Amino acid sequence: MSTQELKGIIFDIQAFSVHDGPGCRTNVFFAGCPLRCKWCANPENFAGRPHLLYADKVCKWSSGCRACTKICPRGGLIFQDDQQPIINWDVCNKCTTFECRPVCAASALKVCGKEYTVDDVMKILRRDFNHWGSEGGVTFTGGEPLLHYDFLLEVLKRCAAMQIHTAIETSGYAPMERFLNILKYINFAFIDVKNMDDKKHIEGTGVSHKIILENIAALKKSGWDGRLILRQPTIGGFNDSEENAQKLIDFMKKNNLYEINLLKFHRLGQTKWEQMGMKYAYAKTGDVSLEQLQKLQNMYLDNDIVCYVGDSTPF
Amino acid sequence: MNVNEEKMQEVLKKRGIEAAMSEAERSQIAPPPEGVNKLMDIYYVLKNTVDMEIPYWYNRVWWENDGDIINIRRAKAFAAALSHATPNILPYEKLVMQKTKNVRGAFPFPWVTASFFNAQAEALMTEVDAPAESEADRVSIVGAGGGNVTESYGNIISIAKKFGMRKEDIPVLVKASEPWDGCSVEELSTKLAEYTPEYNLHKNLMDNVVCMFDSYAIPQGREVINYYYPLQYGWDGIIKICEKGIHDTMGEAGTDGILGMSRGYYYLATKIMAEGMSKWCSNYAKKAEQLASFETDPEIKKNYEEIAGVMAHIAHKPPETFRQALQLTLACHLAVVNEDPQSGQSIGRLGQVLQPFYEKDIEDKVSTDEEVLDLLQYYRIKITEIECFASAGVTGGVLSGNTFNNLSLGGLTKDGLSAVTPLEYLIVEAGMRTKTTQPTLSVLYDEKLPEDFLMKCANCTKLGMGYPAWMNNQDGIGFMMMNYRSEGMTLEDARAWCLGGCLESAPGCFMPLTYNGKVTWIPGGAGPTSGTGVHFIGIPKVLELVLNNGFDKRTGKQVLPAHNKKLDSMQAITDQWQAYLRKIIEVVNKVNNLQMDVWRKHNMPVVQSMLKPDCLVKGQHLGNMGTRYNATINYESCGTVTFINSLAAIGKLVFDEKKYTLDQLTDAMWHNFGFETAYDTQVFSPDFRKATAEAPKYERIFADCINAPKYGNADWEADKYLKWYEDVMFPMTREYHSYYGKELYMCQISVSTHGPQGFITLATPDGRLAGTTYSDGSMSAAAGTDKNGIYAIFESATVYDHSTQQNSQMNLKLHPSAVKGIQGTRKLLDIVRAYMRKGGFHVQFNVVDSKTLRAAQKKPENYRDLMVRVAGFTQYWCEIGKPIQDEVIYRTEYETV
Repeated sequence: MSTQELKGIIFDIQAFSVHDGPGCRTNVFFAGCPLRCKWCANPENFAGRPHLLYADKVCKWSSGCRACTKICPRGGLIFQDDQQPIINWDVCNKCTTFECRPVCAASALKVCGKEYTVDDVMKILRRDFNHWGSEGGVTFTGGEPLLHYDFLLEVLKRCAAMQIHTAIETSGYAPMERFLNILKYINFAFIDVKNMDDKKHIEGTGVSHKIILENIAALKKSGWDGRLILRQPTIGGFNDSEENAQKLIDFMKKNNLYEINLLKFHRLGQTKWEQMGMKYAYAKTGDVSLEQLQKLQNMYLDNDIVCYVGDSTPF
Repeated sequence: MNVNEEKMQEVLKKRGIEAAMSEAERSQIAPPPEGVNKLMDIYYVLKNTVDMEIPYWYNRVWWENDGDIINIRRAKAFAAALSHATPNILPYEKLVMQKTKNVRGAFPFPWVTASFFNAQAEALMTEVDAPAESEADRVSIVGAGGGNVTESYGNIISIAKKFGMRKEDIPVLVKASEPWDGCSVEELSTKLAEYTPEYNLHKNLMDNVVCMFDSYAIPQGREVINYYYPLQYGWDGIIKICEKGIHDTMGEAGTDGILGMSRGYYYLATKIMAEGMSKWCSNYAKKAEQLASFETDPEIKKNYEEIAGVMAHIAHKPPETFRQALQLTLACHLAVVNEDPQSGQSIGRLGQVLQPFYEKDIEDKVSTDEEVLDLLQYYRIKITEIECFASAGVTGGVLSGNTFNNLSLGGLTKDGLSAVTPLEYLIVEAGMRTKTTQPTLSVLYDEKLPEDFLMKCANCTKLGMGYPAWMNNQDGIGFMMMNYRSEGMTLEDARAWCLGGCLESAPGCFMPLTYNGKVTWIPGGAGPTSGTGVHFIGIPKVLELVLNNGFDKRTGKQVLPAHNKKLDSMQAITDQWQAYLRKIIEVVNKVNNLQMDVWRKHNMPVVQSMLKPDCLVKGQHLGNMGTRYNATINYESCGTVTFINSLAAIGKLVFDEKKYTLDQLTDAMWHNFGFETAYDTQVFSPDFRKATAEAPKYERIFADCINAPKYGNADWEADKYLKWYEDVMFPMTREYHSYYGKELYMCQISVSTHGPQGFITLATPDGRLAGTTYSDGSMSAAAGTDKNGIYAIFESATVYDHSTQQNSQMNLKLHPSAVKGIQGTRKLLDIVRAYMRKGGFHVQFNVVDSKTLRAAQKKPENYRDLMVRVAGFTQYWCEIGKPIQDEVIYRTEYETV
């Protein structure tokens, strides 16, 4: 396949992102993810292809709008008894044509995910390069950017040629060869380690952590000269125990890793889960107290591991 | 994370990671001095008060001198008014003087505009006799409007929905206005305007609010003051200059048969005015002495004595300390804002003007940085107290209650190096410690400015008061060179520019201040008002009139002559829009010229004409083009982006895709796309929609209009119209001449007129509904339409060269979390720099989350000190109107994490 034909599904390109790498950045959110984390903030990405979102809170049905009535040829969207439109997710999750989107003036019906060529992405990055300032660059995130291996590799090669600073936020869940090939072109990486107990990891994310931990170890051994920060979304009742922290500390020490970023649990994903007609786990139990976060931070610090909490990062 | 902070720093160090200082360490901003807090508490409870003392004395002396040469008569009347103004000094004040004897005071100028008061005379007198309202009403009014008196209560009568006047003052107001019936600037110029060939058209435009505001309403302002002469010579020195002028020119025409003789009158008038200024200062000295004589608190007593010393000194001599110099600039400023109704009298680059005085005090150890910082905070209160009394429309609609006394920082020196002074760091720091709406701060951003200064300014912007705003110094210089080239402006003078009013680039010059044994070239204003031309034209409304053959459906009036053209192409529409706009400018310009010509002949500035170079050298007042540069009069537009988006929608839906006919589109517009209008619902929020029975008919076209290309997304399909528009406007405005005989140019700030002019505009092709506000500023995206982020807006905004126009305006809202910590400051500066690099002229930030604003809208009494940036200025949230509040809330907030 020539590079012109390469396509990546991207669900958002966000300018002025300030928490995912040094300086001001542009975040490229790739669609699709091999993991199914129950707290995911971007569940619209699971699919890995364009699909419908319905934002019930901005829908203007209550002020009388019926613009989307009878627009769907497959009957995916119905109004009943002057109530909020009902989305038949079984139909809509398979949709590829999205006839309903252009008729919505409220942006309540949105399509998430769009096909980009390498040129499309580079055009935006080249434009935003004007704006980042000296420290910034691009951060590839998602979803899981590694799913778009060929596409991402080509984009990264082009970034390298233009001397754009590159960062990645990844689950690290990919075949090792691919993982290492991509990381060669990355200056700054966040890799999630969600749980050191594999059983729990599978329970929370749907996959084993084995590949992830092996990839991290291999990366460190490869002589890679980028900066690696482990990330852990800290979820109450899932991975907020001291036991888990101790295991992670051991792993980090063994692999000569010394930076971790504990992310606070938030509910930003909740509405999106609902917009897609799914239920959100951890809505009640996910919070971790500040005391507990500080306790965990303290454990890392005692082992000479720099532990940032939330967005209090020095970049 | 304070518990682990220390340990964290240790581990970071051990790991060799360059650690930024924590937020806690960085954000320690010293509190204001106790006196400032006390004065602010007083300020918050005070109401805007109209007072008749100054108009009384002005009137009395004016009529006593009936028949005198007008320039001299003006000086006598105004000098008498100032010398009789009752001094009022509050305990704890370190800097004194104010517009009237009231702290938040202003007064009417019946000699400028009297019809309002004369028409109301009977009604006002009736109100005087009406019984006082209940106390309960009073309380509710206080919470809602901050210092504004929006309704009458008790013994206070609301004037212009903003000011309160005590009942006993009403008969004085009525009496003072009476003699001006038929001969105020307003009425004289109206009589003359009736001779202009298309005066009826002008009346139509004004009645239908296609154009807002007459020029006489605020004839001065949108300019930069110049403090050089008083600082260098003192009032006694200026009197001497005038005496020499009288000696040399009285009775002497030289070779100028028209204006040569005026020089003698000018010097005499200026001498009288300087004597009045001196007297005014002396009165404060005496008052302070008197207060000191019976004050028992030793600290306050000492304070009064110091004030007496400062005022006695500056009543005659040039200043010898920083405090004297600062006090003197304040006296000049207050005198100027008292000689005409005005807004936007800018302080200019004060930190450069006063640097020599500051430097000497520090060298001589007569003062410390902390003492200077205290004074600068007292100064902020004094400037915040400046109110402008104009009609309700002007005060609320244009000004949103702020008088824009803008203070500029940075820029370049005469010889092209960074102009930043040590004093300017303190000015920024004072603005961080004492958060008041004025003076608002503007950074003249230049790549040559020191990084630590820019970081300091960014740190201040982050605090959420809306200042400093950021202006592009190179654009400003470029505009100066382009616009004032014909008057011989040099690159050196171009570097002396800064902001007059909120965003009006104004010409300046450098003057050689001899002080402390050396000469310092200090910048200051060198032209009359950089505004006051054709203002404000609601250009989306003009498009509406094009689409409806000149007829205004809202009012049922034929506003412009029917064009009867077939609008069968984009070209046909834009041609007709240009034809209409030309007609509007032509007609309005003539009337404005008459208004301002009558003003300059009957009401010429006497203080301003003393201060501004080169009046004292030429011996001519400002009306006779005494200043160095006079091509300052502009054309002002409103609603740029609403207009651009409307063209983009028409272009795409009607002509490119041919999805609808123009008739279908206009039918949808006239039916408000099937929604109830804001006129019916009284909700002016841009996203409020209530369907009518007709809604289903327009649902599709409405969605298509909403989803049509929008400016601010780096989408050429929309941005090409902006480029076209700017390219068209540059030569078009230059086809018309001001009363100074110079070409007009375009100013693109809406101030707050996007509220009222949006109000009179029906639904627009971009999907904006009838009566809702236009987009704010000229470069901000329409609310909620910027989908591609901040960098995309920057790209869209810079498709044309910003130095071709007087200004442009970009308002952004940032969530506080995006700029947290020292890295956040750096990132804020990164955004500013990104936009400046692309040639953007201006960017300002509201660093506040919408939640706070919504809460403050519900309970204004709990948010008395909350400030936001509106359209070129900072204002207390509770003192701005609801439509503008809604617009600010609805602006896209960047980085909502």
